Amino acid sequence: MGNKIGIIISREVRERVRKKSFIITTLLMPVLMIGLSAAPALMMMHNTSDVKHIVVVDDTEGQFVGRGLTSDSNVEFQILENMDRKDAVAAFSDENKAYGILWIGHDIMEQHDQVQLISNSSSSMSVEEDISRQLSDILRTAKLRSYEIENLEQIISESDIHISLNTMKNNGSGEEGDMQQTSTVASMLLSMLLGMLLYMFILLYGQQVLSTVIEEKQSRVLDVMVTSCSPFDLMMGKILGIACVAAIQIVIWAVLVGTASQLLVPLIPMEAVQDAGSEFAVVTSTFGNLSFILTIFLWLLLYIVGGFLLYAALYAAAGSSVDSTQDAQQFNSIILVPIIIGLIVMMSVYNDPSSKLAFWCSMIPFTSPIVMMARIPFDVPLWQIVTSLVVLYASFVLLTWIAAKIYRIGIFMHGGKPTWRELGRWLRMK
Amino acid sequence: MNPILKIEHVSKTYTGHKALDDVSLEIPQGSIYGLLGPNGAGKTTLIRVVNRITIPDSGRVVFDGRDISIDDIFHIGYMPEERGLYKKMRVGDQAMFFARLKGLDWLEAEKRLHQWFDRLEISDWWNKKIDDLSKGMAQKIQFICTVVHEPKLLIFDEPFSGFDPINADLLKREILRLRDNGATVIFSTHNMESVEEICDDITLINKSRNILSGSVDEIRRKAGGNTFQILFDNMERPIADILEGKAECIGESEGIIGGYTQQKIHISSDEDIHHVIAALNDNCRLRSFQEIIPGMNDIFIRAVNGTL
Repeated sequence: MGNKIGIIISREVRERVRKKSFIITTLLMPVLMIGLSAAPALMMMHNTSDVKHIVVVDDTEGQFVGRGLTSDSNVEFQILENMDRKDAVAAFSDENKAYGILWIGHDIMEQHDQVQLISNSSSSMSVEEDISRQLSDILRTAKLRSYEIENLEQIISESDIHISLNTMKNNGSGEEGDMQQTSTVASMLLSMLLGMLLYMFILLYGQQVLSTVIEEKQSRVLDVMVTSCSPFDLMMGKILGIACVAAIQIVIWAVLVGTASQLLVPLIPMEAVQDAGSEFAVVTSTFGNLSFILTIFLWLLLYIVGGFLLYAALYAAAGSSVDSTQDAQQFNSIILVPIIIGLIVMMSVYNDPSSKLAFWCSMIPFTSPIVMMARIPFDVPLWQIVTSLVVLYASFVLLTWIAAKIYRIGIFMHGGKPTWRELGRWLRMK
Repeated sequence: MNPILKIEHVSKTYTGHKALDDVSLEIPQGSIYGLLGPNGAGKTTLIRVVNRITIPDSGRVVFDGRDISIDDIFHIGYMPEERGLYKKMRVGDQAMFFARLKGLDWLEAEKRLHQWFDRLEISDWWNKKIDDLSKGMAQKIQFICTVVHEPKLLIFDEPFSGFDPINADLLKREILRLRDNGATVIFSTHNMESVEEICDDITLINKSRNILSGSVDEIRRKAGGNTFQILFDNMERPIADILEGKAECIGESEGIIGGYTQQKIHISSDEDIHHVIAALNDNCRLRSFQEIIPGMNDIFIRAVNGTL
């Protein structure tokens, strides 16, 4: 029988991979992903909008606030001497003369809302932010100076402390070098990312499982199929087939995104690369040693595959119980409920990875892929991982079997509703 | 010879509708068996019961001497009436898929399929999509998919519907060839001509019941009811007098063909035909004496109307 599953898998994969829609999404998705990630950087680079000319009416003593403003490539400030707000507004009412009039009240040190930007054209968020930031800095410096304490600024900046806590796993040896460094932040990021990824895969491919299970029913290939292979082989073949298609697609995406980003990096402004680079360096350094990551990653991979298969089996069961794709739509949102619960529990896991809730949710197969993925970086006992994996994969097989039964009964029912007695007979049937 | 398939008292009820009512029949090994009946009589349900697509409420299906099991299904080739092929799939891939599902390995499947494609003269369809084929063309593919693994029992539901006369003929030849190679063939049909041509035995199902079973020759002869057509001239006495006590005339003497008179007569089954012929010979010039064997079409209509 195993051979039949193989034949069904290979048909599923061949047919899907050859479809135009598969080729298009496979090629377009990386373009979209790269586009989305590179867009801000590229936009920054190609932002050639004109310099915004802003005239400043400063009513403060000695115009110290206005003089503190610095122009840059985007905004240019011009301080108006001997002109009050009213005159300035009248004189610079034309967009060509000025982008806007910035009025600073004389009492701004005490009343922070004594400032207005009277714009001649549509306002710009970045300009507003820039002005607010500059004004805050100027006023803060002025305020600090007014206390007349020597080196106050330096004192303040020195007392701004960020702790970086290194968490070590106690192995009883007391030797620091032997202890494994665990990193909560990095592991959290990794498991969160994979949890989201799993959710995304299920969203993307669950629908495909649904439609492929319904395929035979709609084209009446069904009669031929049920006389050629068992419904379990059919279900298993279809689920594994879609899983293979998903894997192929993901590998292609990874390769495409990898090569494309190599080619695109030179196009991104150096600053952006450096920014991202330093953040990445922080993340990777906190990961600790490589083997730790690899072990975690292997476990996570088992969970992501198991979770995917389990949910695919759920979709297959849903597809088995209906005759058309339209009828199947209603199941879509219901199936996703447990995984969303899993995502919510995952957030709480980071606070207390060994709580009762976290433990049970990492054993129940519908939430275990996501919750256990979140727990694994916090050093979970091996027996728990193994148990939950066994439960997960066993549930997948069981659900597939149930899906096959539902499928078979749906065919028997062809032409009428079954009685309970009939249902019982069908369930016992091979 | 042992029957390859025995259906014993099979009944099946769908909600409020009896699809099969105590149907029994035996299908001899190596025969071509016709399953006849008006639309909705229960033929397809019976076929689905044999294929275990549906299970009967009561009764047994015995295949090759044992109660039929799921493993036997794979020794049956089944072509459903509503043809089932993947529409978007290429013809060759599709045929390979079904052949391999039926247990052929890749090389064997490819070899046999190419032979079949050549024989049915459709080799150039290998890379086409089912969607691009006509109904009759798709049916040829379906036929090949059904027979390629050379099962012991072949079941065709309405195999000739959708075929032009040339292709229907081709199909008939192939069905006969399969029978000669040892397969048993069951097919349901409305096409009575094909029944006369290729069926060895038939069962006629009407209103969910088996109303007529047996070999085609016997059924036709029986339905004829010892009726003969005679052609003669130079009759010396009225024919009714000549046949008195031996046979009776059916209707009046009919039209004269080339100077001959034509008459249908019924000879009672216990009468020796030779005596009838001798009596006629003594009193007229007998030109022809021929048994009237009704066509299956006629038998079908009479059986369904209850006048057989």
